[in-house]
Amino acid sequence: MKAILKIALGIIAAIGGFLDIGDLVFTTQAGALFRYDLLWAVVLGVIGIAVYAEMSGRVAAVSGRPVFDVIRMRMGFGMGLLALVASTIVNVLTLAAELGGIAIVLELLFDAPYAMFVVAAAIALVGIVALLPFGGIERFFGYGGLLLFVVVATVFHQNPDWGEVGRGFIPSIDSSTLYLYFVVGVFAAALMPYEVHFYSSGAIEEGWTEENLKENRLNAIIGYGIGGILAVGLVIVSGFLFHPLGVEPDNLGTVALPMQGAFGETGLLLALGGMLFCVGGAAIDSSFAASYNLAQFLGWEWGRYQGPRKAPRFTASWLVFLLLGIAIAQSGINPVDITEYSVVLAVVALPLTYLPVLLIAGDRSFMDRYANGPIATTLGWLYFAVIVVLALAAIPLLLATNAGGG
Amino acid sequence: MIASGRKRARSAALAVLAALAIAFSGCGDLSNDELNRGVESLSALAAQGELVANGVARDATKTTYARAMARTLSEQAEHEAEKLADATLEEPETDDQRHAAVAVAEEIAGLLSTLQTFPGDEHHAELVEKHLGEAGEKADAIVAQLSGDAP
Repeated sequence: MKAILKIALGIIAAIGGFLDIGDLVFTTQAGALFRYDLLWAVVLGVIGIAVYAEMSGRVAAVSGRPVFDVIRMRMGFGMGLLALVASTIVNVLTLAAELGGIAIVLELLFDAPYAMFVVAAAIALVGIVALLPFGGIERFFGYGGLLLFVVVATVFHQNPDWGEVGRGFIPSIDSSTLYLYFVVGVFAAALMPYEVHFYSSGAIEEGWTEENLKENRLNAIIGYGIGGILAVGLVIVSGFLFHPLGVEPDNLGTVALPMQGAFGETGLLLALGGMLFCVGGAAIDSSFAASYNLAQFLGWEWGRYQGPRKAPRFTASWLVFLLLGIAIAQSGINPVDITEYSVVLAVVALPLTYLPVLLIAGDRSFMDRYANGPIATTLGWLYFAVIVVLALAAIPLLLATNAGGG
Repeated sequence: MIASGRKRARSAALAVLAALAIAFSGCGDLSNDELNRGVESLSALAAQGELVANGVARDATKTTYARAMARTLSEQAEHEAEKLADATLEEPETDDQRHAAVAVAEEIAGLLSTLQTFPGDEHHAELVEKHLGEAGEKADAIVAQLSGDAP
């Protein structure tokens, strides 16, 4: 009974922790611009992250090695260094965007200067990390993120044309560069590299072994799967409300407008609260991922469970990354713009993250009977092919569409 | 040999910097498409402002949210007005539309400023919502003129 409860709690945390500022921005903009046409891309991204999170969690549980250890081991120092530099840039940009996102939501709730809230957000994160154990941090943000289920309630309140919604799940290719840019953005927002870096390192933090493989699979498939429903919901509510009006949601606050339209102030507060927890959780994940990667690459002692005394360089690097994030968030650049660049740049780093995971998870000499089966192998390689194509297309599309500005 | 290599490198660096400066300065002629997109973004801002004002008018929002959103949207409209006013047009015959668009942008910015000042006043919000709707229609009419769809 206790084991079932633990698994259920993990799944619930994964549901609430699925969305970050990239998902909020890209899914809402995708709905506003293309109504329901990009729902299939959301589903594609959600299956992709579930497949690779399951693999990285399994490798961590069986071998005791997190993703970045695997990257270094499988690809050597040179490629490992390249992956470290690329993922660190993306992680710091993502952290800056998430800190900016927290500050924007606090500004909308309390109407005080944005710059003050960026610093307050960072101090709050330090406090939470200092006070709560690793599992507690995950659950705090994951459960809070469940407030965003108001998005699903809004979908049913709006009662859209369900036939049209259903057709959105059938993949379609539009030749416009803007459409292709949003396919890349929506897909990449779901597969941000920090998610698997954090997920696999988190498995080590929580002392996972082969006994946790069922928990890992359920977290990845059900947790991310149901979390994906929130992303699908955001596309639908945005498509329903914003698309006919021609609204271009380039402010984070706009994401909450459909929920206000449906349920008034209560809907607005639930949406803003859910966004706060989701973005806050992603700030923790991305900052930890940056420190995990650096420490694992350089062979430092690492982990929240070790504490600052046993892992001083890991803790110091986490604080340095947090300061860098604050500096970028305070630079005056709109966090939504930072998000768009970090998501699209992340696509370029994706092959460096996911290829080693795929190779090691399929290696019978390393994983023994826990190596990828035929389904995981097929899905893994299919997704890797998609990732490579998108990685090649990402930068040209970013430039051709003026970062989605048309 | 080394000196000429350095000179070439410096010239190349200067050329790159100049290109970047031009690319990021936002200067240069405004094409008809860019003008069109600018006016479309005004229509989008007006629509977003209408939704925020509607929340205030129905007493279905939080004043801090309405104020912060109105401020952000007003600043965006003001920025769009400045951008349109400063630009040199690639097609001078669209100057009338450009002036009309600047006026609409200023009108939207002003209306949103009013909402920012009175984020809890339902009566003001109703008027702002109505006028933003009209401003949005003006923006749509300019877009129609620019794309040759106007009657």
